[in-house]
Amino acid sequence: MPMVLLECDQDIPERERHIYFKAPGEDSRDYLPAANAPTIPGTLSERGCSFCGAKLVIGGVLKDTIQMIHGPLGCAYDTWHTKRYPSDNGHFQLKYSWSTDMKESHIVFGGEKRLEKCMHEAFDAMPEIKRMVVYTTCPTALIGDDVKAVVKKVTAARTDVDIFTVECPGFAGVSQSKGHHVLNIGWVSEKVGTVEPEITSEYTINFIGDYNIQGDTDVLQRYWDRLGIQVIAHFTGNSTYDACRSMHRAKLNVVNCARSAGYIANELKRLYGIPRLDIDSWGFNYMAEAIRKVASFFGLEEKAEELIAEETAKWKPQLDWYKERLQGKKMAIWTGGPRLWHWTKAVEDDLGVEVVAMSSKFGHEEDFEKVIARGRNGTYYIDDPNELEFFEIMDKAKPDIIFTGPRVGDLVKKLHIPYVNGHAYHNGPYMGFEGFVNMARDMYNATHNPLFRLAAIDIRDDRALLVEEAA
Amino acid sequence: MGSKVDDLFDYVQERCLWQFHSRTWDRSENIDGIIGKAIDLLAGREPAADTPAERCFVADAKVMVADFRSRFPWIREASETEVTEVLGGLRDRLTDLAITRSRNHELTHTLY
Ligand code: SF4
Repeated sequence: MPMVLLECDQDIPERERHIYFKAPGEDSRDYLPAANAPTIPGTLSERGCSFCGAKLVIGGVLKDTIQMIHGPLGCAYDTWHTKRYPSDNGHFQLKYSWSTDMKESHIVFGGEKRLEKCMHEAFDAMPEIKRMVVYTTCPTALIGDDVKAVVKKVTAARTDVDIFTVECPGFAGVSQSKGHHVLNIGWVSEKVGTVEPEITSEYTINFIGDYNIQGDTDVLQRYWDRLGIQVIAHFTGNSTYDACRSMHRAKLNVVNCARSAGYIANELKRLYGIPRLDIDSWGFNYMAEAIRKVASFFGLEEKAEELIAEETAKWKPQLDWYKERLQGKKMAIWTGGPRLWHWTKAVEDDLGVEVVAMSSKFGHEEDFEKVIARGRNGTYYIDDPNELEFFEIMDKAKPDIIFTGPRVGDLVKKLHIPYVNGHAYHNGPYMGFEGFVNMARDMYNATHNPLFRLAAIDIRDDRALLVEEAA
Repeated sequence: MGSKVDDLFDYVQERCLWQFHSRTWDRSENIDGIIGKAIDLLAGREPAADTPAERCFVADAKVMVADFRSRFPWIREASETEVTEVLGGLRDRLTDLAITRSRNHELTHTLY
């Protein structure tokens, strides 16, 4: 039964094309869940909007840039502060949120004047900041505000600023994924090649598709520093606007998240001849492999082996302690897309954990090719899941722990299954050697937390006794 | 020979992201490039690494070949002819999986 029609989907049989169960003996080439397709009417999707994919995931991470969101306040609030990507300049990007706060009269009479005023106000209020990204949203795109014309006017009035426009309203695509695409292609077409970086090493890379979730970038940066490799630009963890304008000068593009940022790596290869090397940065085994590959490109193999040996000696005993205690646990990964294929083998090989169900909100068919190649038999692979499917799959797969976001995480609580934040982490960073120990620790703490068991017990009347026993 | 190709194919399936790049031409460049460098390495030859693209293929091939050697002892004993034959089989199988029979609708899109 490779493609599965769940009980809850009997009235929307189209969902069968999106749910795959990998069984032994079948040729997985014959099946691939449909993905990056419009959500079917009748299903309550967990997807985000396309504007969110551009702003919350990529643009909003830049640490020296005003993020002007041209729309009602909600678009700004919903894409602010939930992702926990710090920076080494006091977390400027997390402290502030900017919106043109469009109201009915602006929708009726047009919002261009308001946008222009807001852009000047923001630059005046933060005179040390000279970079801005302006985003359109559904309402301002629908009324046809000419954002690029306004940007031209503001840039003419302020010669020391640089502004990038992302025209990707929420409705532009089927999910967040469209926003990743629009921002990537816009950036490489308009901004890359407009700043020359200072080159301090003969070994230069761009690190693409890492957003410094709870300090991931810092962990990896320490490895590159140890190898003497200069990162021209992180796209976009702890990065600056101008660093990302100078990506054309790197000798190698190292890609972590191929879904949100594979496009820019492909274009940098096409336009500037910079090769693309895809890696996994989560997991011991994978991290060592990634370091070996990058080092080998530059002929730095010896240094790499030293680094790997040191990190392994430092962190492996802790990882093994957790592995012993997590062995055989079942896990569900209910996230955006790439973490499915980044994590499924990493937790299996390094922690002995079996991934029994995985869902993706915005992954494409490419992501399913990767995860089905890596994932186990007897596991569910689901595209664009809905809430009822979630409950039904949990009932079938019976995971001990679920990695997902806070919204689905709230549902998970009701099932009394421990949940770990799979987007923004519980206590990260999770990348690199030490990061994977953090991830293991959060899994151990979650699966051994008595609260979930206790919360399932009704303490009224004589049932209170059960609580004492449970405690 | 079939089971040897199976061994290598299962390994690549699980570990190598380069087989699943975005478009048909990226995938075929990677599969041909990396398998070509792997044949050189397994035959004891220093692979050519004159261009950035070649150096990238070598970087991927080196890790794969080291794993092949530690996981599949037969490959350490294999002659160059056998290596070429088995890796040729692997290349065909990967091309079939990731390109010819791939159900990924984006593979032939002309733009990224
Ligand atoms: S869907 Fe449209 S209106 Fe809603 S948050 Fe996204 S951009 Fe704003």
